[in-house]
Amino acid sequence: MHRRDFFSFASRGIGAAALLSLLARDRIVKGAPAVAPEAKDPPPHHPAKVKRVIQICLCGAFSHIDTFDYKPELAKQHGKPLGGSEKPDVFFGQVGLIRKNDWEFQQRGQSGLWISELFPHIATVADELTIIRSMYAESSSHTPATLQENSGFRLNGFPMLGSWLSYGLGSETDELPAYVVLPDARGLPAGGTTNWTSGFLPAQHQGVLFQTKGAVINDLFPARTIAAEVERDSRELLALLNRADLAASGGEAELTARMKAYELAAKMQLAVPRVTDLSGEAAATESLYGLDQPQTRDFGRSCLLARRLIEQGVRFVQLFSGGSFGSPRINWDGHEDVKENHAREAALIDLPVAGLIKDLRQRGLLDDTLVLFTTEFGRTPFTQSAADVVGAGRDHNQDGFSVWLAGAGLKHGMAYGATDDIGWKAVEHRSSWYDFHATVLHLLGIDHTRLTYYHNGIQRRLTNVHGEVIEGILA
Amino acid sequence: MKITWQLAALILSVVPAGWSVAQQSPEFDRDVAPILATRCLDCHNSADKKGNLDLSRADSAKAGGDSGAVLVAGKPDDSFLWQRIDAEEMPPKKPLPAKEREVLKSWIASGAKWGTSPIDPYRFTTASRAGYDWWSLQKLVRPKEPGVTNQESGVNSHNAIDAFIFAKLGEKGLTPSPLADKRTLIRRVTFDLTGLPPTPEESDAFLRDKSPEAYDRLVKRLLDSPHYGERWARHWLDVAHFGESDGFEYDKMRPNAWRYRDWVIDALNRDMPYDEFARMQIAGDVLLAPDPRGTIATGFLVAGAHDSLLPKGEVMQAIMRQDELEDIVGIVSQTFLGLTVHCARCHDHKFDPVRQVEYYRLASALAGVKRGDRPIPPAQLPPELEQRQRQLAGDLAALEEPVRTDILNQRQAAAEKRPSPPRPLARWQFDGDAQDELGPLHGKLHEGAELKDGGLVLSGQRAFVATELLHQDVKEKTLEAWVKLSNLQQRSGGVIGIQSPDGEVFDAIVFGEKDPGQWLAGSNFFRRTQSFEGPPETEADSRTVHIAIVYAADGTITAYRDGAVYGRSYKSDGPVTFKKGEAQVIFGIRHFPAGGNKHVAGVIERAGLYDHALTAEEVAASAGTVSTYISEEEFSRRLSPDDRDRRRSLQQQLGAVSEQISRLREAKVFAVTPQEPPQSHLLIRGNPQQKGEVVNPGGLAAIASALGDFGLAPDAPDAERRKRLAQWIATENNPLFARTLVNRLWHYHFGRGLVETPNDLGFNGGVPVHRELLDWLACELVERRFSLKELHRQIVLSATYQQASLPRPECLAVDADSALYWRYRPRRLEAESVRDAMLSVSGLLNPAVGGPSFQDFRPYMYKGSQFYEPQDPVGLEFHRRSIYRMWARGGKNPLLDTFDCPDPSTTTPKRGSTTTPLQALSLLNNSFTLRMADALAERLRKESPGDEQAQIERAFVLICGRPSLPDELAASQALVREHGLMPFCRVLFSSNRFLYVH
Repeated sequence: MHRRDFFSFASRGIGAAALLSLLARDRIVKGAPAVAPEAKDPPPHHPAKVKRVIQICLCGAFSHIDTFDYKPELAKQHGKPLGGSEKPDVFFGQVGLIRKNDWEFQQRGQSGLWISELFPHIATVADELTIIRSMYAESSSHTPATLQENSGFRLNGFPMLGSWLSYGLGSETDELPAYVVLPDARGLPAGGTTNWTSGFLPAQHQGVLFQTKGAVINDLFPARTIAAEVERDSRELLALLNRADLAASGGEAELTARMKAYELAAKMQLAVPRVTDLSGEAAATESLYGLDQPQTRDFGRSCLLARRLIEQGVRFVQLFSGGSFGSPRINWDGHEDVKENHAREAALIDLPVAGLIKDLRQRGLLDDTLVLFTTEFGRTPFTQSAADVVGAGRDHNQDGFSVWLAGAGLKHGMAYGATDDIGWKAVEHRSSWYDFHATVLHLLGIDHTRLTYYHNGIQRRLTNVHGEVIEGILA
Repeated sequence: MKITWQLAALILSVVPAGWSVAQQSPEFDRDVAPILATRCLDCHNSADKKGNLDLSRADSAKAGGDSGAVLVAGKPDDSFLWQRIDAEEMPPKKPLPAKEREVLKSWIASGAKWGTSPIDPYRFTTASRAGYDWWSLQKLVRPKEPGVTNQESGVNSHNAIDAFIFAKLGEKGLTPSPLADKRTLIRRVTFDLTGLPPTPEESDAFLRDKSPEAYDRLVKRLLDSPHYGERWARHWLDVAHFGESDGFEYDKMRPNAWRYRDWVIDALNRDMPYDEFARMQIAGDVLLAPDPRGTIATGFLVAGAHDSLLPKGEVMQAIMRQDELEDIVGIVSQTFLGLTVHCARCHDHKFDPVRQVEYYRLASALAGVKRGDRPIPPAQLPPELEQRQRQLAGDLAALEEPVRTDILNQRQAAAEKRPSPPRPLARWQFDGDAQDELGPLHGKLHEGAELKDGGLVLSGQRAFVATELLHQDVKEKTLEAWVKLSNLQQRSGGVIGIQSPDGEVFDAIVFGEKDPGQWLAGSNFFRRTQSFEGPPETEADSRTVHIAIVYAADGTITAYRDGAVYGRSYKSDGPVTFKKGEAQVIFGIRHFPAGGNKHVAGVIERAGLYDHALTAEEVAASAGTVSTYISEEEFSRRLSPDDRDRRRSLQQQLGAVSEQISRLREAKVFAVTPQEPPQSHLLIRGNPQQKGEVVNPGGLAAIASALGDFGLAPDAPDAERRKRLAQWIATENNPLFARTLVNRLWHYHFGRGLVETPNDLGFNGGVPVHRELLDWLACELVERRFSLKELHRQIVLSATYQQASLPRPECLAVDADSALYWRYRPRRLEAESVRDAMLSVSGLLNPAVGGPSFQDFRPYMYKGSQFYEPQDPVGLEFHRRSIYRMWARGGKNPLLDTFDCPDPSTTTPKRGSTTTPLQALSLLNNSFTLRMADALAERLRKESPGDEQAQIERAFVLICGRPSLPDELAASQALVREHGLMPFCRVLFSSNRFLYVH
C-alpha cells in the first residue's frame, strides 16, 4: 500500500510538474552549483575514496554471535554457566546459561567469510563486505547507545553523522536534501525525529524524513489544492515583490539568497516525485530488491529508493530496520526469543540489502558509495533467564558486537578484530564508535579532528576528543 | 580556535611596560614567571613534562630534564635553557620577543633566583588558553566614556553606548548610518521587544507623534507590554534548553513543566532584578520557601532531557547520573557565568583556568538536584472555567443522548433473549473469605489484603491473594472480575491473573500498564500483550465495572467491559496451557514476586475463572446488567458525519478544559525534587568507578573577587549547597555574572554579541573589540540594581540601535559584517515571530498570557514510548503565541522547525538563521500558513468591504509595515482581480518584506 502512496503522490506531482517546469524554465540558472559546504576548514583534507553514504541501522541490536561472529566454542559451552569471577552488568540483570548460536555458520564466497544461515542473501555478497567484529559501545541502554552509534554522544542534542556530512561536504544536488531518512514502514524508532536532529548545527543539516505514508515530505505541495494558474501568478507576484524589496533594501545579499531558495523549492517539487516514483524500474530490478514479495516489499522499496537518491546526489541516506521498543517486538531486540525474533526481522531485510549491494556494484556506484550496516550493540552469549536455565532470549551486550561496511577504499571480504572465545567481549583490535566514525570520515576525505563546529566551549567533533582511523580495514 | 588580534596584543605585553634591563635585575614573580607560564609551561609542566623537564617548580627546574641541567646560575651562555632560546629553537616555531629574552638572560645572569614555587600555570594567559588574568575574570571597573563629539560622528547622541561605538568606528575611518525612518524603527523595536508586529494604528500614532519623546514613549509602552515577557522568556528558554518531555527512549511528557515557563515570563514582565532572577532558578525552593514560586523557578535546573529508563546495572546507572550532572553543571555555568565548566569533567579545562577538582566542587553543589513533579498549593479556580466545562458537557450529552437511548433499548431487547450466565471453573465472592465456592481453588490473603463489606480490599502497596494450585489443566480461558479502583491514575497493577508460582509465566487483567487508564491483557514480557486501544477508563473509580478477558484457542484475545467489547481484539501466539498442579490464580497483583508497580489499589467484589473462551453473549450474560457503556465505534456508526465532527470537537474542548481544571485543583510543578546528596568525589578521567579525593561543594578560584569557598563540609545538606551556590553566582562581586548577561542582551538586540559566543566568555570567546563598552554596560547593570528593563531601554534608545539598515559600499568594503556597528543589520524573523505575526495580522491571535501548554500534535503511546504526530489544530486555544506550545522534544512543529527553532535538548545561546528551500515550501504550502491567508483575506474583506485597493494597502501595512510601492500595487491588484484575496495574502506571507526586519 505504501507503494501506491508513492505512486499516487507521483501522479499528483505530475499535475504540478508541468507548471513547475514552466516556472523553472526562465528562472533557474542552468548548471547551478550544488550546495556548498559550510565547514570552516572544508574537506577534502586528503583524497576521498567515497562521495556518499547509505547507512542501514538495525534498531534493537542484532546478535553478532548468530550472524557475523562465528564462535564454535559456544556449542561446546552450551548449557554451562559463564564461569569466571566477573558478574556481567547486563541491562535486565539476569545471567542465564550459555547458549549456542541458533543458526549454523558457513564460509562464504572467495573470501571464506563466516556468515550464518540467518542472512543467506547477504552471504552471497560476502566478498564485498568488511566486517568489524570487535566493536564495543559505552552504554547498554538502547537510546543512549543508538545516539552514540549515530552522533558519537550518548545524549540528546548532538548532530548525527548525516548532519556532519551535510555541514562538511555540502551536497551534490540542490534539488534534494543532503540527508534523507527512510524509516521502517512499521513505525519510527523511539525518540522519533530526535534521531535525525542536526543538534547544534544549523537546521538545514538535519535529516529530512521521507514518509512511507501520505506526503513524502512535509509541505512539498500545498496542504490543499491550489489551481495551477493561481500558483503560477502567485509565484510571479512574489518574485516581483521580492525584486522591488531587494531594490529598496540596497541589494542585500541575504535577500537574494532567499529569492533563490524559492527557485530551489520549485526544483525540489519536481525532483522528489521523480525520485520516489519507482514505476520506471525494470522488473528484474524490482525482484532484485524483493519488491515482488510481500515480506520484503517495504524494506526493498527503501533500499531501491536509497539507490535512486544517491544517484541523484544525496549525500547521506539513512534506513531504519526496526521501530520503537516494547512488545510485541518490531525490531531486533530479542530478549524473549532470539530465534523467533531474528528470523522474522531478517526475512524482511536480507534479500533487499543483498539486492542493494549487487545493484550498486553492477551500476558502478559502489566505486564511490559507502554502505554501512550497523546496530547499537550486540547480544550476550548467555541467555536472559534464571541462572540455571538456557533461555531463548539474549540480553544487551555493550562489550562486543559486529558491524559491516561495503564500498570503495576498504579491504573487501575481510573480518577485522575479534571477540573472546564465546563472543562476549571484544579483545583484539577493540574498536569504538569514535574509531568507526573516524574511519567513515576518512573514507570521505575528512580528517575527523578537522571537521568541527564551535559549541558549548569547544570545537565539537563527531568523534568528541577520541577516535583513531581503523587502518587495518583500509585498502 | 580563534585568536583575535587583541589576544595577540595581550600576549605581546607579558613584560611589564616600564621594565628595562639597565634599571634593575628582574624579579622572578613579577617578571620571569609570566614569561615561563605563557611561553614554556604548556609543555614543560608537572603533568606533561616534555623532555622530562618541568619548569613550573624550583626544584624540578633546577634538576633539569633529559638533556641534563638547564640552568647555570650566573652563566646564561652555559645554561641549556638560554642556549635553546637564543638559537630560536625554543619555544618551537615562535621565538621569544627580544624584550623577554633580555629578561630571561638577565635573570639567569643575576643568579636565576626562583620565587613562588610552583608557578601556577593558570596565573597567566598563554597563546593557547586563558589564565587568571583573562579579561572577563577581572573585577568590574567602570571604563571612562570616550569623548566623541556629535560633530565627529555626524549623529546627535548623548548615549554613552554611542560614544563607545562611534569612537571605534572613527578609528577605522567609518561613520555611523543616519537614524532609520519611523516606520522602520517601530517595526524593528516592536518585533525586538515583543516578538509581534506593530498594528497599523500603533504605527500611525507613532508617525503622528512629532515630539522628541515619541520614541522614548514607544519604548516604554513596549517594555510595559505583557508581550515583552513572552518574547524575552523565549530567549531565556533557549539557553535553559527547556523542554516539556524527557527525551531519550520514552520521551515522556512533562505536563507540569509549563509553570516554569510562566514564571520566567512573569519575572521578566515584573522586571525582577537579574540577581534575584538567577538565585531563584538555582535555589528558589530553599530561598523563598514556602512560597511556591521559588520551587517553580527551579524548573531551570531540570529543564533538560533526562533518560528515565534505568538499566539494572549499577555501573551504567552511575555513568548516567554523572552525564546528568554534567548537563546541569554545564547549563548553570554557561548561563550565568559564561564559562564552560563542564569541559573539566574528565581533566583540567583545556582553555580556561578551571581545574578538574573545581568541576566536581560545582557538581557537588548541585548533586542534590533530582527532577520530578512537586505539589504546590492549588490556585484559585476561575469560575468561568467550571461554567465552560458544564456547558460543554451539556452540549455533548445533548448530542449523544438520542443515540445512547437507542442503543440501550436495543441492548435491553437483546438481553432478554440472552442465555443464562455460564458456569465458571472457579468463583470467588469474597464474602468474608477468599474461598472458591465451586471448587478447591481457595485463596489466601497476603501482605495486608483485607475482606470488607463483601469485597477484597487492596491497598495497592503489596497486598494480594493467591490460591491453591490448579486441579486441572487450563488452556483456553476467561478471566473476569467486578472491580472498583481507588483511582484512575494508578499504573500497571493486576486485578486477577493466572500464573506459574514463580511468576515467570502469567496472563492477567492489568490496569494502565502501557497506556494510562487502559485495560490490558498483561503477560510475561508482553508476549501475549498488545494494546486493545480501548478508551481510557473514566468511571471505575466511582462505580464497580465488570472486566473480562477471553483467551480463545486460536490465540485471539478479546476484552469486555460491562459486557461490551472493549477496544479491538487481536491475535497472540497463545493461549498458554497452565498445567494442573503447576499454576495458581492471583488477585491484586500482576504476577509474582510481590512488590514494585504490580499491585492494584481498589476493591474486587467478585471474580471468576473459566476453562473455556466465553462468547460475547456469555460475557454479557455474566456481566449481568445491560451495559450502559457505549463504545466510540458504536457512537460513530450512528452519527452523521457532521455530528461526528461536532462530537469530536466537543470532546476535545471538554478534555482540554477538564484537564486544565484538574491541573489547577491538584497543582503540581515539574521542578527540583531535592535529595540529600552522597559525599562527592573527584572522578578520575570522569569515571565513576575511579573515585579520587573527597571534594567540598564550592565555586571557582578563577573568579578572584568572589570567594569560591562555600565553607561547607562534603556532606552538607542540599539546601545549603544550592543556597551558597546561588549567592556566590548572583552577586555584583562576580564579574562574569553581569558581563555574561549584558552580552546576552546585546546579542539579542543586534543579532550578534559583543562576545560572539554568549555562553562562553572564556578563551574560546576571544577578547571583544568592544570590551570597554561591555564593561560599561555591566557596571550600569549593577548600578541600576540589575534591572533588565533599564538596560534594554539604554540599548534601544541608543543611536547605534536606531541606525538605518541600508548597506553603504564604502563601509561594506572595510567591515562587511558591520561588526563595528556602522548600520543595523537586517534580520530574518525568528520562527516564533513568523508564526505569531501571521496570527496577529490575520486577527486570530489569542493574546492570553500564561497557562498550560497547547499541543499542536497528536500524542500517542506506542510500545511504551511517547510519540508526537504534528497537526495543525484549529481553535482559540491553539492560536496562542508559540511560546505556549508544548515544547516536547520529539514533538517539533514542522513550520517552526524549518525556521531554525532549536532542538530543546541542547542549550542554544545563539540561534541559526538559515535560508533554505524547505522554508520556502513551508511558507507556501503549510496548512497553517494557508489558514492564516484565509483569515487575513476574511479580515480585509470585513474591514474594507468592496474596496479592493484599500484591502491591498491594508495588507501591505499589516504584513510589511509599510504601504505598497507603485509597481507592487498594480501587480497585486492584477492577482486579486484574477484569483481573489487569499492567494495575495499567501504571497505576502512568503515575501521578504514580511520575513525581514530592517
